[in-house]
Amino acid sequence: MAVTGFFTDSTLCIGCKACEVACKEWNEVPDDGFRWSGLSYDNTLALGHATWRHVKFVEHEASIGAGGNAPDLMTWQFSSDVCKHCENAGCLEACPTGSIVRTEFGSVYVQPDICNGCGYCVVTCPFGVIDRRDDDGRAFKCTFCYDRQKAGLEPACAKACPTGSILFGNLDELERAADRRIAQLHAAGMRDATIYNPKNSSVGGTHAFFLVRGDPKNYNLPPDPVVPTTLLRPAWNAAAIGAAAMVVGSLLAFALGGRK
Amino acid sequence: MADGKLEGLFVMGQNPAVGAPNAKLERMALRNLKWLVVRDYVETETATFWRDSPEVASGELNPDDIATEIFFFPAASHVEKAGTFTNTQRLLQFRQKAIEPPGDARSDLEFMVQLGRRMKARASDRPRDAGLRALTWNYHDDDAEEVLREIQGWHNDERGTMKDEQAGGGAHRSSFIAHRLVKDFSELKNDGSTTCGCWIYSGVFDGENKANKREPRGRYGHGWGFAWPLDRRILYNRCSAAPDGKPWSDRKKLVWWDDAKGEWTGDDVPDLTGENPPGSKDDAPFIMHADGVGWIWVASGLKDGPLPTHYEPLESNIANTLYPRQAKNPAADRKERPDNPYAKSPDNRFPYVLTTYRLTEHHTAGGMSRTLSHLAELQPELFAEISPELAGEVEVTNGEWITISTARGSIQARALVTSRVPSLDLDGRRVHHVGLPYHWGYRGLVRGDIVNDLIAISEEPNVRIMETKGLSCNIRKSDVTRHPEPRRRRRISVETLRFAQGDEVLRWR
Repeated sequence: MAVTGFFTDSTLCIGCKACEVACKEWNEVPDDGFRWSGLSYDNTLALGHATWRHVKFVEHEASIGAGGNAPDLMTWQFSSDVCKHCENAGCLEACPTGSIVRTEFGSVYVQPDICNGCGYCVVTCPFGVIDRRDDDGRAFKCTFCYDRQKAGLEPACAKACPTGSILFGNLDELERAADRRIAQLHAAGMRDATIYNPKNSSVGGTHAFFLVRGDPKNYNLPPDPVVPTTLLRPAWNAAAIGAAAMVVGSLLAFALGGRK
Repeated sequence: MADGKLEGLFVMGQNPAVGAPNAKLERMALRNLKWLVVRDYVETETATFWRDSPEVASGELNPDDIATEIFFFPAASHVEKAGTFTNTQRLLQFRQKAIEPPGDARSDLEFMVQLGRRMKARASDRPRDAGLRALTWNYHDDDAEEVLREIQGWHNDERGTMKDEQAGGGAHRSSFIAHRLVKDFSELKNDGSTTCGCWIYSGVFDGENKANKREPRGRYGHGWGFAWPLDRRILYNRCSAAPDGKPWSDRKKLVWWDDAKGEWTGDDVPDLTGENPPGSKDDAPFIMHADGVGWIWVASGLKDGPLPTHYEPLESNIANTLYPRQAKNPAADRKERPDNPYAKSPDNRFPYVLTTYRLTEHHTAGGMSRTLSHLAELQPELFAEISPELAGEVEVTNGEWITISTARGSIQARALVTSRVPSLDLDGRRVHHVGLPYHWGYRGLVRGDIVNDLIAISEEPNVRIMETKGLSCNIRKSDVTRHPEPRRRRRISVETLRFAQGDEVLRWR
């Protein structure tokens, strides 16, 4: 089975939130509360147990060539965020029950009937995606529409996206499409367009990657996401060294300490 | 209605208590009706104005004094009934019923058919009922295709063919397929031999219901739906070819003159026929105009023509540079009266410009979106967008409650302070803008003040639309907030809150 992915092109996003609604509709995700944030048009604010797609509204200083705005007007950029389905997934590696698995599509999937709600995955996700539901205890996140993919359909968000900002397909084909799109944008003068796919970090690349403008940090995308389990080896090494030092110290105490 | 001249009102798929200009005047006027029929798929603000409108809370309306008899009929939604959508691009798309409507909900068509039948049955012998007695009203209960056939038109004195009957899908439609359908509007005559509901739709049944087809072909999508007139996808497509009949652009060609056949042909249905070869007297692309040419100088038809020009809004603090002595459109109907007042121009009481608009997340007056959790949570509260400069001037910060007032009334909203809203230098002074989306009301999952209370009932002379984009307003920080902090509601299911009487009766999945 081919490894599939999402390529989210923020330059095409119009902030309609159709992906958020389609995701909730298909996956029967409950509401997030009815709170107004006062932060642009973004009342969802972050990915969470009840938000598996989230459109970010980034209000920027004026930059030339952005949407034809007058030079003194600020720009308003949108980007649809989602679980990154990391190559080395922190949540999957931390899950003690085997609830979180790698599917045949390469995606990271939480099996809700196995999850026991321990929450280890929540603290190990370098992107803050996976989240526990208070009244339920279990952890939830984007399923990559595993059920739809099994039936040969594209995920609900990609299906609903009216502008083609969310592309779904085979991962290697999407990466080539992203390269072509970047070349096209650069040729058109949008030189700050860049791909966010942290292949050189400990997550080893993501199956959902993004095209953004300027610094990905403006879109809350971490420059160097760290999977905590990569710290296991130095942690165990340190523990082993510590233990060895204690053993050696004890033996030395016996060997060197004279009888009083 | 406000003056008591209107006895009854049918409101179908509208919500004037929220969505109409000067909505407070609308709500106050509804109480003068003897009866009010509301058909919708949620109980809208219009249906409950007598019980939970802001005027009831403020004491201006007392439910005990309202004698209006209100009938609320649950309506089928667009997926629960067959019918057509017609886009502004002129495309008719027929849709089938996907699911049965729940409970007592019925389509608008069935309601109207039943209503007509009952009215006819009660028609008296009095002269004033003569029209009702003569009315042909032999529709089946809920057959949208039958109505579309009547709109498309037929020959009164010729029998239909079997092909028509089969296309209609059953012998039970005998009353409507007894007549041979016209091919298109060119067959219509003014001698009583043909019948047609609306000529632009003639041709939608050309052997079959073309609006119901979903087989697009070619670059203009012929075969998917039906574009009036005559399935012409681009109107005035003659303009795509040069005077000699050859396309201006090979890449964007639409229609062209075929010398061999002696007629217009192309990728679209041509505007012109073989009788209008290039260069002939009738080779004129703008076929809807009497002289066939495009107009900047509009000799007739435009009520404030003949040339496009600029007028200031009906309320404006800015002088009209183009016409210093006639700042506003003299042909506009202001409908000015004590309950529909205007600010002066200029008016020191209302120094800012107000614009109202819609958000992606909500649908017009909100009946279809404020009741759905997946949409309501995305824009849960009314807000007013103002610039940081204006926020500084009135000393409010982001998220604080502000009161916005016009000559008609005042409402409260949360301030959304953003540099996206620019301030302009006009007429030697700084002009600030207040932007308000208008989707909220006093029912649904998310509630807020009704922005249309601020708008005047006015009519632009040609299309008679009220002015909502440029009004004079004032804002200040709210002293007292009528609105409590929104409480965290219990999660509701993905189901619509259909026919919910209030928060208590949410339907659970």
